[in-house]
Amino acid sequence: MNTIEVRDLRRIYKTTVGVVRRKIKEVVAVDGITFDVNRGELFGLLGPNGAGKTTMIKMLTTLLIPTDGTAKILGYDVVDQANEIRSRIGFIFGGERGLYWRLSGIDNLRYFASLYHVDPEVTMKRIPQLLELVGLSDRGEEKVEGYSRGMKQRLHIARTLLHDPEILFLDEPTMGLDPVGGREIRQVIRNLQSEMKTILLTTHYMFEADVLCERVAVIDLGRIVALDTPEALKQVVSDLSVIEIEVYGVPEEIVNQIRNLPFVDTVSVEDMDQKQMLLVHSEMGSEAVPSLLPSLESVRVGKVTVREPTLEDAYVRLVGGKV
Amino acid sequence: MKLGMWKAYIHVIRLAFIFTLKQAMTDAFVLFGIFVQPLIIAIMALFVLGDQGDEIAIFIVVGSGLTGLWDSVLFQSGSSITRERWTGTLEALVGMPTPLGVIVFGKNLAFVTQALSSMVVSYALASIIFGYPLHVESPVLFILSIIMTVISLVCLGLVLATLFVLNPDVQRWQNGLEFPVFILAGFLFPIAILPQWTTPFSYMLAPYWAAVALHISSSTNPGILEVGLPWIMMGLLSVAYLVIAFWLFKKMLFKARVDATLSGQ
Repeated sequence: MNTIEVRDLRRIYKTTVGVVRRKIKEVVAVDGITFDVNRGELFGLLGPNGAGKTTMIKMLTTLLIPTDGTAKILGYDVVDQANEIRSRIGFIFGGERGLYWRLSGIDNLRYFASLYHVDPEVTMKRIPQLLELVGLSDRGEEKVEGYSRGMKQRLHIARTLLHDPEILFLDEPTMGLDPVGGREIRQVIRNLQSEMKTILLTTHYMFEADVLCERVAVIDLGRIVALDTPEALKQVVSDLSVIEIEVYGVPEEIVNQIRNLPFVDTVSVEDMDQKQMLLVHSEMGSEAVPSLLPSLESVRVGKVTVREPTLEDAYVRLVGGKV
Repeated sequence: MKLGMWKAYIHVIRLAFIFTLKQAMTDAFVLFGIFVQPLIIAIMALFVLGDQGDEIAIFIVVGSGLTGLWDSVLFQSGSSITRERWTGTLEALVGMPTPLGVIVFGKNLAFVTQALSSMVVSYALASIIFGYPLHVESPVLFILSIIMTVISLVCLGLVLATLFVLNPDVQRWQNGLEFPVFILAGFLFPIAILPQWTTPFSYMLAPYWAAVALHISSSTNPGILEVGLPWIMMGLLSVAYLVIAFWLFKKMLFKARVDATLSGQ
């Protein structure tokens, strides 16, 4: 038996549009997804914003009812056997919400432990251990409202471990954190992985999926477009090189012009303060650079580098350049 | 249900009670509704009715305290689930093995207990500032009436909390429900002066029976039978509110999981 079994799962949201003549509009967030997660595996769901990752995780944590399909956690159905599942899983959703800001970190943990029916004596022993694990030992007595975003996120992780769950669902756990905060969270996740916890992680940070996950499902528009190990996914772009071009204020027409060049596979643009980074995937590698530059004549160009593809590049190719 | 589970639920109610009180004591809106508003009502009532003798003073103290209690049930207990949604904690609570109703029961208990202090504030105001010689005629019956009041209002709060989540249109009338209950429950004057057709509505409200029990046990020396009727009515209404709340919680949670409204984003 797999720890998590998902079969043809679908979720449609209904929303109303219009003021006078109200119409119901349907939005398909998850569109027939199937996958399994093995015991002790760290499985990643990777996809752009709006791909359906959070909807997926909310259905698996019993907080949303699927429109169609089935999902089982440890053999229990997420719709009909929600109570059996809830005591065996832990979950966090990205962001600062979900904690009682006027209470201290320790009070938050005491309260949530009682909701998980953890014995009060066990709770008193476990809280200092968990605060140590997430690096909050010296701040536990302080009110959460004074915590940084990263500290709140680490307290969320401590909260989700209070009842020692078999499976963890981590939805964008490093979202909005600075590089140091993100690194700390990833270290905590690695420690949990070494304890043989089954972890389902959603992220849109490719490097995070690359360094943490054993297998990754890439989701786009509610569907899985690829599912494999990070190494195997990188093979998708093994024939390509990535040309990174620093540009200042590149218009959309020029990006489209480059996209239409015969030797270009995909193009994406990343905003970086005053400048942008143009990422061009091409089989020609450095030989493509002289042919690219004439298209950028009217734009101020900075550094140009050519590098080997990463998981991020595979991802960009899989989701068609949407980042 | 196993004994261990009951123990776990009582522990949850205890901690929900303690931590809700901790948070509510730093909320200015709560403090205004519970301390300042009953104080204003007590001052007005003491000025208007105070010349009718010392006996009326304890009636005013209890009545204005009851206004604070009702405010707490209406605004605090009534919004207890909505507030969790706003702060993003509702998903975490629903995703846990403890039923949401048990958690909300503990929270509502804290709100009602906190609101009892408004009665103490009114009492201190009348005796210290206005100099009325206040004493409760039947202290034991008064304390028992308070306990029954707390239980019935906590149960009523469960109904309001779910109703306000299930139907946001009802919550828009939250402010409008404040004064009609002051009047229908006879907090500051007897309902006998109201039109007769309003009486059945009063009888359906636990706050009315709470007011009857607290007024007669504080102002008179009633027999056990006399105070027994409001206690029985509060008990029956508590059971009715619990049954309705149980059904509403089930309906609300299923609907929230279908409509994706747990996160409030």
